[in-house]
Amino acid sequence: MSFQEWLKDDSKVILFDGGFGSELIKRGLESGKIPDILNIEQPEVISEIHRSYYDAGSDMCQTNTFGSTPLNLSHHNLESQVEEIIENALNNIKKVRPSGCLIVGDIGPTGEFRPPVGHASSDQWYSSFSTQAKLLEKGVDLWHIETISDLEEMLAAIKAVRDVSKKPIIASITYKKTKRGFFTIMGDSLEKCIEALNNENIDVIGANCTLGSKDILELLKIAKSFTDKPISVKPNAGQPVVKGGKTYYEQPVEDFANDICEMIEFGVKIVGGCCGTSPKTIMEIRKIIDSI
Amino acid sequence: MSNEEFYNSITKAIVNLDEEKAIDYANMAVKEKMNLLEVIEKGFAAGIRKVGELWEEGEFFLPELMRGAQIMQNCLDLIIPYLQDASEKVSRGKVVIATIEGDIHSIGKTIVATMLRAYGYDVYDLGADVPAEKIIEEAVKRNADIIGVSALLTTTMFGQKKVIELLEEKNLVNKFKVILGGAPVTSKWVEECNADGFAENAVDAVRLVKSLLD
Repeated sequence: MSFQEWLKDDSKVILFDGGFGSELIKRGLESGKIPDILNIEQPEVISEIHRSYYDAGSDMCQTNTFGSTPLNLSHHNLESQVEEIIENALNNIKKVRPSGCLIVGDIGPTGEFRPPVGHASSDQWYSSFSTQAKLLEKGVDLWHIETISDLEEMLAAIKAVRDVSKKPIIASITYKKTKRGFFTIMGDSLEKCIEALNNENIDVIGANCTLGSKDILELLKIAKSFTDKPISVKPNAGQPVVKGGKTYYEQPVEDFANDICEMIEFGVKIVGGCCGTSPKTIMEIRKIIDSI
Repeated sequence: MSNEEFYNSITKAIVNLDEEKAIDYANMAVKEKMNLLEVIEKGFAAGIRKVGELWEEGEFFLPELMRGAQIMQNCLDLIIPYLQDASEKVSRGKVVIATIEGDIHSIGKTIVATMLRAYGYDVYDLGADVPAEKIIEEAVKRNADIIGVSALLTTTMFGQKKVIELLEEKNLVNKFKVILGGAPVTSKWVEECNADGFAENAVDAVRLVKSLLD
């Protein structure tokens, strides 16, 4: 079945994967290293994480290319390796993808803000996303543009992907909760973002990262009233806590899964997890979906 | 216009992010030979404090916060050369700030540096991915009062602890106050590192620096 058929099937809840960076940290990711370079340096570890999510029941998993834009890679002096990184990322996921499951091209923020916060322009964003999308296009079934905290950057990413691909797009923004509701750190309200995304040629509107499952549940209830498009959620497993030199996410898997269950009842189409969630989380959610 | 009204107009220009007006007022204050310290404190600083409050309340966001701090800085740059004597030019304190080695996330650190400058501190921003040794070297060279170390990643925050361990090794721990910043930093972590405090955001950082130096 294709992604579009899943979207049309009302009884289908699509299970995405969980956190990738936090899985790498568990496996001893070196301090400050960008995970994308591990596609080349430790391909077996990357494949193993993808496999663990597919085995846990994910219908689709995303490539380890969150930071693989020339702009983001340039912060690590790796921009000249963008082709090799993406080529390897595609191989790493392709070899463990079970039949019937999908590969999602992951596109994260460039790490560059527009003035007055930073110096990036929409053209720079577009060109950087465009390079990434062109390299990923041949190996992915759909796209996830995610963890974007500026609506303008999201629109530049959508345009870049649409100019090279006709495949479905999930556009996920990251919000923070304020006294006045949910906003991006750049000041775009949830309502404004959704209305803007409603007018774009995309397939699913999403929210991911920053917020835990309780807050995303609240956000979802508002989001639902502003769009008819399917909605995707990938919340964090609470906030990270450091103990004895190690990082932990302390929200119990069952609590997270219960919130996801409520989101499904509320009509969310795609569920998964972000930072701190693991194959164990995905397995719990799989059980819930299968029991519905 | 009374002095009070003039100060209020300055505050309003900063809060409205009206650079043109704010610069006009700064020039006017210099031309009229007003008490410039009072102009800064009651006009400009009151404005940037209000911007900070609006940000904390969720009325303002990153662009407004940064723009406010930049306008404030431009006005201060214009006024400071006219402060009458050396005692007026004494800074509120010196801060050496950096994102720790291995971590290239500089945005939060840059915002903190900008806000501290806007409040009249001398800030030496060493950038991102800076080794602990280098941070200490600069703090000694600049005779800093405060060392600020930022880390966004849970994998790099251990470098914050390294800065304090190195200070202890070098017997410099009483010379500087060390403050931490970044999303994963908590009060527990500050305790574990033996640091002097942490700030959750740029406005909080200004409050912290002020409380440590007063």
